[in-house]
Amino acid sequence: MIRFLLGRAVLLVLGLGVASLLIFLALRVLPGDVAQVIGGTTATPEQVARIRESLGLNESPAAQYIAWVAGLLRGDLGTSLLTGVPIGDDLARRFEITLPLTLLALVIALAVALPLGTYSALRHDRPIGVAVGFGSQTLAAVPALWAGLLLILLFGRGVGLIGLLPTSGFPRSGWQDPLTALASLLLPALTIGLIEGAVLLRFVRSAALEALDQDYVRAGAARGLTRPQALARHGLPNVGLSIVSVSGLILAGLITGAVLIEALFNLPGVGRMLVDDVGSRDIAKVQSEVFFLTGIVLVIGALIDVAHRLIDPRQRERAVAA
Amino acid sequence: MTTDPAPTSGTEESLEQLGAANARTRKRRNIAIGVVAGLVVVGGAGAATAFAVNQPAPTPESEVTFAVQLLPDNLDIRTTTGAALDQLLIDNVYEGLVSRDASGTISPSLAKEWQVSDDGLTYTFTLNEGTTFSNGDALTSADVVWSLEDLIDNERADAKTLSSVESVRSDGDETVVVELKAPDPTLLYNLAGRAGLVLDQDAENDPQTSAVGSGPFLVEEFNAGDSVVLTRNADYWGEKAKIGTAVFQLFADNNAILNALNEGAVQFGAVDKNLQAQIADNDAFTLEEGFASDKYTLAFNNKAAPFTDVRVRQAVRAAIDHDAIVEALGGGNTLYGPIVASDPGYEDLSDVAPYDPDEAKALLAEAGYADGLSVTVTIPAFYASTGFGPILDLITSQLADVGITLNANQVEFPAWLNDVYTNHDYQLSIVDHAEARDFANWANPDYYFGYDNAQVQALWQQATTASDETVYAEKLSEAARIVSEDAAADWLVNPTTLVAVDKRLTGVSVDSTSSRLNVTAAAFDE
Repeated sequence: MIRFLLGRAVLLVLGLGVASLLIFLALRVLPGDVAQVIGGTTATPEQVARIRESLGLNESPAAQYIAWVAGLLRGDLGTSLLTGVPIGDDLARRFEITLPLTLLALVIALAVALPLGTYSALRHDRPIGVAVGFGSQTLAAVPALWAGLLLILLFGRGVGLIGLLPTSGFPRSGWQDPLTALASLLLPALTIGLIEGAVLLRFVRSAALEALDQDYVRAGAARGLTRPQALARHGLPNVGLSIVSVSGLILAGLITGAVLIEALFNLPGVGRMLVDDVGSRDIAKVQSEVFFLTGIVLVIGALIDVAHRLIDPRQRERAVAA
Repeated sequence: MTTDPAPTSGTEESLEQLGAANARTRKRRNIAIGVVAGLVVVGGAGAATAFAVNQPAPTPESEVTFAVQLLPDNLDIRTTTGAALDQLLIDNVYEGLVSRDASGTISPSLAKEWQVSDDGLTYTFTLNEGTTFSNGDALTSADVVWSLEDLIDNERADAKTLSSVESVRSDGDETVVVELKAPDPTLLYNLAGRAGLVLDQDAENDPQTSAVGSGPFLVEEFNAGDSVVLTRNADYWGEKAKIGTAVFQLFADNNAILNALNEGAVQFGAVDKNLQAQIADNDAFTLEEGFASDKYTLAFNNKAAPFTDVRVRQAVRAAIDHDAIVEALGGGNTLYGPIVASDPGYEDLSDVAPYDPDEAKALLAEAGYADGLSVTVTIPAFYASTGFGPILDLITSQLADVGITLNANQVEFPAWLNDVYTNHDYQLSIVDHAEARDFANWANPDYYFGYDNAQVQALWQQATTASDETVYAEKLSEAARIVSEDAAADWLVNPTTLVAVDKRLTGVSVDSTSSRLNVTAAAFDE
């Protein structure tokens, strides 16, 4: 197990290294530069050149890359060219919103997908099961923007039929008033949570259907368990692993994909920051942000692997046999 | 994938029984997670409900939130360009010798009065006494001299608007004398803008993230990409601000502004005209139409084929139905020349380029494009999601009617800056030229329009060195007619803005809010 963990850690570090290089190179092909954005439409070419110089944009790409990675190794994400604010501070401020938002969305997705997915598998040949299956397929296809608008019309304070929840922004005081902060995240989390939940539901449903067909579930049933009991006792633990994997992937996707929803609900989260920074060619900032997000995805992947090994004895045995 | 229904009673069991059965099993992780998740959601919703019920009035008496669609990336008004800095900081945080309102009327600010010599070459400003910066430093004529000299000598943002200035000197603590190379009827107007701001030469703050100004507000919080919070400057030398806090809240999405207004989270904000029905019934707001100096410009590259040919340029103009654009936008003013009605030198030039598709076809045929013409318009992508979306569709179909195929090339703004603005590598572009009094661009052959007309340049020269405003306006109007007759560009529309204002809020102008949002006189009646 220790060897496995070490191997996985080395793989993770390698992955991060490759990612840093790819990100650095990829961002260099974007046309336009931040000095021009700062100078705007009134700056003379000389003024733009002076801005470039002062920002260190004239240094060689190799030197820029080395300086960046050296900073990363020290835990320093750098400073925004445009705002002069340390990137780490900005990321932390934005993650205070995006992380709870995505976790809440994931919890909602699981709350929808697990019970309903299992239920619709058990009832797959009944109208109710078919209806759930069809409904989830429809919901999974709904554009997030439209779903968000719909939820606002239903529950938005000042707008909605049941004016309950705030639809705009995040309290400036952050989590000092946890209820207000949580309330401002509920509608956006519901929007993505329900849609991702529908996607996950379909996964759970087919996994449960498959499990119902397995010999060990039938054997359980033959021993006198009801079908749901057999599914719960023998089937779900076996498909549970892949549900954990899918949930991990969904979480990673949610964090990087919160862009649209953050714009609609005017939440100053990570997604919106990334869009803004790409738009203004604050490359130093974008590369650190993308690297950070990539790191999260890679770490989640590694954690899923480790979780698999811990949960499933067969994987350990297989590794030993190999 | 099919499953034989097992011969058990399972299909009759309900979900609750499933849960109960699971509770007895040791391996119940997944369902348990589901239940916990459900509880969290229900709990959260419950908390939100409680919160909604107990919420106090939406805004404390002293705090007003203004919705803005642009925020500066940093606060460095000396280096960073863009109207967002002017909108936020001028008059509110930084002050100049003089100020101006949305219609361009000049008023005293740091200078309580000024005299102009008979030859128009010497301006003598008398400063108010006892003015201080927010760090406690006294504001003297030395600060004024330093600010103007630093701007001009180091070519700071907007420095060229003071190019007529020969020298600036102080004459005692309260007097500043500005000498000009030639008379400049635009001097006071420009001094009332960014170029004339007076900064503290001894300030030691980081100008990117903080501001030391002499204005009625202090920058309390700067959250890049989200909001800027201004608080009342309790030690302000002049009449103090009435509201305690002004929040400039950024909105990237038109729907989000509407939601925030309806929710009561915002008291002032521009509303997309096509969405106005969503707030028209809200009794808490009045909808007011404000003028703006924006000129949605269809720029022709006058130095690139086929727009080197005046007949092609005229054909494009004749093919566009400007009234239809105004209608599609839900309001606004038609514009047939480079100067808007609120600026000096405006003249109705609708006779120069009336809508006439037949004339457009004839002109095209004459220019050798009887079989049609295909051109590309390079447009910053974010415009397409704002008011430009419908305009682009409209002119595409209007041009198609006369045989011109318009291909839209949407690019990100930095790419636009690079390709179109700097390298002049384009045929057509659509850009909002938002600045007031920006005729200088037509007298500058190196500007991206590539418009080079000696007569216009001479008239501009005469206008900007005229000894009085009347001559200035006359010369400008003469030049503007030539620019329009040359079809140097097409001016699609001068949009108006629709602003939703909380009924309790007074003292904020709805005109030109995107270039200047002075909240000094804002007051909130409960």
